[in-house]
Order: sequence, then C-alpha cells, then structure tokens
Amino acid sequence: MQETGDRIRTDRNVYTWTGLGLLVSGVILVLVSLLVLSSLVWLTALGIAALILAFIFLALARTIPRVTPEVSMLLLETGIDNIATVVEELGIKSKPVYLPSSLAGGKAQALIPLHTNPSLPRITSALPRRFIVRYGSGPDDVGLLITTAGTVAVSILESPMGPTVTQLESTLASLFVGKLGAADRIGISNIETGIRVEVRNPRIQSTGAWSHQCLDSSLASIIATVVAEAWERPVVVTKEEQYGKTYVVEIEAVA
Amino acid sequence: MKIYNSYLLFVAGLLLLTTVILAACNVDSLDVYYTLYVVEALIVTELYVYFSSRARRSLTVVGTLLFAGFLVIVASAVLKIVV
Repeated sequence: MQETGDRIRTDRNVYTWTGLGLLVSGVILVLVSLLVLSSLVWLTALGIAALILAFIFLALARTIPRVTPEVSMLLLETGIDNIATVVEELGIKSKPVYLPSSLAGGKAQALIPLHTNPSLPRITSALPRRFIVRYGSGPDDVGLLITTAGTVAVSILESPMGPTVTQLESTLASLFVGKLGAADRIGISNIETGIRVEVRNPRIQSTGAWSHQCLDSSLASIIATVVAEAWERPVVVTKEEQYGKTYVVEIEAVA
Repeated sequence: MKIYNSYLLFVAGLLLLTTVILAACNVDSLDVYYTLYVVEALIVTELYVYFSSRARRSLTVVGTLLFAGFLVIVASAVLKIVV
C-alpha cells in the first residue's frame, strides 16, 4: 500500500511540477524579453504561452483522482472473486441478467438465476434489495441479486442517459474515455437481436478467469448495466469477443 | 489520465504553432498573440467534452482568468482611443 501511495503522489506531482516549471520559465522568458531583448515580441509571446500552459497544468493537477487504476482493479477483482466463489459453490450455470435501478430496488444490479431455465427470467416488478431474491411465481424463480462494477459506474455518470444508439454511444464514451480513461473510442451499432458495442483499445483486460466466464467480463458488465439503465429494461450479454485491439460486446434486451 | 495528456499536448502544440506562424508573419503586437492564445485555449477546452465536471470547473477558472486578461487588453485599447 505504501508503494501505491507513492505512485498517487508521483502522478499528482508530475502535473504540479511541470506546471511550476512552466510558470517559472514563462515568467523568466517574459521578463528577459521585455527588459533585455525589447525587440523580440515573439519571445515575450512564447513566455505568455508558457504561463497559460502552466495555469492549465496546475488546474488539472488538482483534479487527478486520488485512487489509482491499480487500486481500483484490486478492489474490483476482490469483489468479483468473492461473488464468483459463492456462485461456483452453489453450482450456478446461468448468465447474469442486468437490471435497471427501477427493477432492482434503487440501484442497477445483476440477477443470477439459481436454476438454469431455457427462457430468460421475466421481471416485471421491482425486486427487493436482498442478496437472495424471488423474481417470479414459479418454485425455481430464485436468484442472487449482486452489485457489479457497472452499478458503481452508473452512479458516477453526471448527465442523464438516453435510450437511442447515439445517446448511448455518447454516455459510454463519456464514461470509458473521459471518466475512467479505460478506452480510446466507443462505437455502437444496431443488430438484429439488440446492439453491438465496439470498445477500441480497452484498458480493462479480461483475465479469462473462471469468475469472468461465469459473471461476464468487467467491461461487458459495465456496458450492460449502463444499457439496462438507459433502456430501463433487463438486458443480457449475448456475446463478447476480442478482435485485435477492439473488444466487441453484444447486448440483448430481455423480452 | 490519457485524456489530460492528449488535451495538454494539443493545447501546447497549438500555442507553439500560433507563435511560429505569427512570428513568421512579422506580427509585432503582443495583443494579437495573447488574444489568439486565449481563443484557442477556450475552443480546445470546449471541444474536450468528456472531461469530468471537476476538471471542467478547474478549467473554467483558468478560462475566466484568461478572459479577464483579454478584457484588460480591450480596455487599454479603448482607453488609448479615447485619450
């Protein structure tokens, strides 16, 4: 943890020290060019440009997250592995169904049915906020309601989500490119069964661990939760695959 | 922090390019340099729509300071004309 703390301080210091360096060199450039080399306007201008950049560096240095991606990944993997252990012990083979907050007691969550049915579970009313929930009238309609990485990701989104492909693309780009810094570009297209999300150069890697095979990868889980919340309908991940530098996730709404 | 680095590199490159072009055109008014710098910095900041609200607030403070400098230039130009 000490090493992690050092890393956080180093990241913040890079921006701060660069900003301070530019500030000092900008002031020196402006003073020298104004007082000594009065004919060199471009040199004064270069000093002003350095000062502008210095202000921007110092402003951004204050906004760097205190938790590094490594710490976040550590916490994420721990949580997923614990849930995966429970799922493995119960012998569950069902894939998770991602529920919007309106159907999961206030926050978007994933439901893992305890019994594998040929048809996906139909959830029409809000489920109670418990770990083990009954989602239908049948004797086997029992499942685990779990919090995923997407649950937290949805809560950090600032703008309201829209259901169209364009709005979803904007929301996911804002999340992955802007806030999480976890991808370079997001592209969404309509397919016959739902939507296809292409994540260019993802920095959340799927480890291929058993937990990921059972609970979907973290990337797919985040995307599915955001889509479920935007559509206000339960969704499932039907396919996820890596093609070179692009990670493809296909999502389908539960009828 | 990839988005921060990309933004900073873009702004730095743009300011440097502006300096080179204006210097090559023999522009000797510091007001012109500063005005162009401010306009470019504000436009690029607006183009980076995926910044977090915290980063955007900080950059708005910087933008306000730069704009205040621009207003000083405008005020001094007006004073020169009036006086």
